[in-house]
Amino acid sequence: MILLESHNVIIQTTVAEKLAKPSALDVQFVDYDGVRFHLSTPNSKTVLLLSMHIRCWDELVRYGALDVLKREYGPWLSEQVEPEYNVSLEIDLAQAPQEGEDRDRFIKSLSLLKRHALAAPFERAFIAQRSLEDGASSDHGELMQIHYRDEEAIYIQASADRVTVFFSTIFREETDRIFGKVFLQEFVDARRLPALQNAPQVLYSNRDPPLELRQVRGLKDSEDVGYVTFVLFPRHFTNPDVAYSTISHIQLFRDYLHYHIKCSKAYMHSRMRHRVSEFQKVLNRAKTEVATTERKTVSGRTLVSR
Amino acid sequence: MSLLAPIISDNGTGFSKVGFAGNSDPSFVFPTAIATRGPASQPSRSGPPVPSKPGNLASKRGVEDLDFFIGDEALANAKTPGYSVHYPIRHGMIDNWDHMERYWEQTIFKYLRAEPEDHHFLLTEPPLNPPENREQTAEIFFESFNIKGLYIAVQAVLALAASWSSNKVTDRTLTGTVIDSGDGVTHVIPCAEGYVIGSAIKHIPIAGRDITQFVLNLMRERGEMANVPPEDQLRVAGKVKENYSYVCQDIVKEFRKYDSDPYNMFQRFTGEHSVTGRTYKIDVGYERFLAPEIFFNPEIASSDFLTPLPEIVDGVIQASPIDVRRGLYKNIVLSGGSTMFTHFGQRLKRDLKQMVDRRIENSEHLSGSMMRSTGVEVDVISHKRQRYAVWFGGSLLASLPEFYSYCHTKAQYEEIGPSICRRYQIFGSVN
Repeated sequence: MILLESHNVIIQTTVAEKLAKPSALDVQFVDYDGVRFHLSTPNSKTVLLLSMHIRCWDELVRYGALDVLKREYGPWLSEQVEPEYNVSLEIDLAQAPQEGEDRDRFIKSLSLLKRHALAAPFERAFIAQRSLEDGASSDHGELMQIHYRDEEAIYIQASADRVTVFFSTIFREETDRIFGKVFLQEFVDARRLPALQNAPQVLYSNRDPPLELRQVRGLKDSEDVGYVTFVLFPRHFTNPDVAYSTISHIQLFRDYLHYHIKCSKAYMHSRMRHRVSEFQKVLNRAKTEVATTERKTVSGRTLVSR
Repeated sequence: MSLLAPIISDNGTGFSKVGFAGNSDPSFVFPTAIATRGPASQPSRSGPPVPSKPGNLASKRGVEDLDFFIGDEALANAKTPGYSVHYPIRHGMIDNWDHMERYWEQTIFKYLRAEPEDHHFLLTEPPLNPPENREQTAEIFFESFNIKGLYIAVQAVLALAASWSSNKVTDRTLTGTVIDSGDGVTHVIPCAEGYVIGSAIKHIPIAGRDITQFVLNLMRERGEMANVPPEDQLRVAGKVKENYSYVCQDIVKEFRKYDSDPYNMFQRFTGEHSVTGRTYKIDVGYERFLAPEIFFNPEIASSDFLTPLPEIVDGVIQASPIDVRRGLYKNIVLSGGSTMFTHFGQRLKRDLKQMVDRRIENSEHLSGSMMRSTGVEVDVISHKRQRYAVWFGGSLLASLPEFYSYCHTKAQYEEIGPSICRRYQIFGSVN
């Protein structure tokens, strides 16, 4: 698995199960970046309530998350939001599409709840870019800030010819920072390949925020902060299908990065284990054989030295 | 940010149960299997795949180490050319750390979709797990995954905690005998105040797989399996075992019941041919009560293991320190899929009670009938969460607010090193 998937497997499997056979349910689970879900059947067995808590909900609403969710879920979006959560979907299993492709698509779209909520600022930025391109009123659009984790944020800014996405990320550990650095350097290098010429430009800076973010207040100034900048050109989002996958991939970037850092560590560990076992074999070969003579007592029992 | 729910991961020989604390069922139950690229012959000379040419460009490097599947997907890909399936856990203990590390990696990132840096973890270990294994596990979780905190609990203790959900249990004690019967092996484990009495543990080589095989043999002998395609037979036997079996109180009476009223007692199983889609029907008869009977009369299935389960349990408790025996008899807890048979607990209780009473009577007699015993209370607890009892116990304990203080945190790990995980504080103990 190289890319992380954008849908939530628990929602997918549980809803599919309940569509096949409705029964009472009450589960809580999470998604990346501290998103909490609650899937329950509070009133009747056939009405599922799926609630989501997302840290940066207020910011997302400001950038039009509700509109996106309304577009995606329409009537399913519940008026009443469960307490302690930000958004609720009410799924009447009786009204769900019949078995077949429609149902699969329906389940899939439910499992993309987090993706859709986070997609709003990106979509808004793409639209803003188009309007900036037409009328040259100002050079830059609004700098949208999404504080999706405690100390980390995504910044999105539309310009006349591009949309720039900045990620700030924190490496809690020294080793991670080094891995991260190498990894991001690879991104920059990989782009030189002819096959990847169309990929968005990626820039990485450690500690110092990119120029565009200098005026943002409250940036943490420490060694373990890194900034990753993606420059998206219109070719990455004019086609709706391409825009869709761009959004899906870019919003999981932070998790993708940390996932791969962990994978690299796991890979290093298996190399290390292998090397140790090889060395152990060499050491075992170097053992001198001690001639053991069995010592026996009069009654014939053997003495064993400890 | 409010604390995110701890992740409970119970990796067994056959199946892994993973999910979040606070829920009553694990989010995922899938086989502990990993399908990796490369030949099945395990110890390869070259070790893990090495990139052929270490260059500067990412494109030149291989991604072989990411090319694998776990769980059901692993079994589905078993026949894909180039892949081979491995089972990283043998007899409850982790056998291949490379595979296990990658197995956890995908469990966390693909299935649970959790950032391990934000979560506490509760893992389980079999009784008598060497402390080195615990250290290795801690190394992987703290160093590869940077988790916040870790608690490694003994499965038997979690099973005891799970029995608190039964309304029969009034005092929440961690003293009791756990009968843990899964797919591969059955253990009888005495626990006193949360500590496992290692010297008294007994294993029984009868478990789910053997029962299924026994059912299959019975049905073959009667000729029921003639209609069933050979590749489905084992699965059908498993289904029959799970859906129709029960424990009877007296075999002879039960046989007579079947003879007098066959239409009522024999059941019909309907299956579908996996290739042609044709349905077939088979009769389910004596195997309904004979299947679980092999716990109580093992001689009907095996020729080398002949001690019935109640006798083993009695032996285990008698081998434990005398001051905890009362507690062990009073709280016998069932856990695992193979203890799910209806009336299993009642039968075990009856047989055990008889054994204990006979012993007391005998000692009363030997003492010249001068003293009367007050008797020993024997109770077998079965409850609704028995199938995933270990996981459920973990979920229960990890949702307590004190859980976090029992965990070893990353800071502590870095201060002391992996040896910190040799010892874990027992739930409910003072220090």
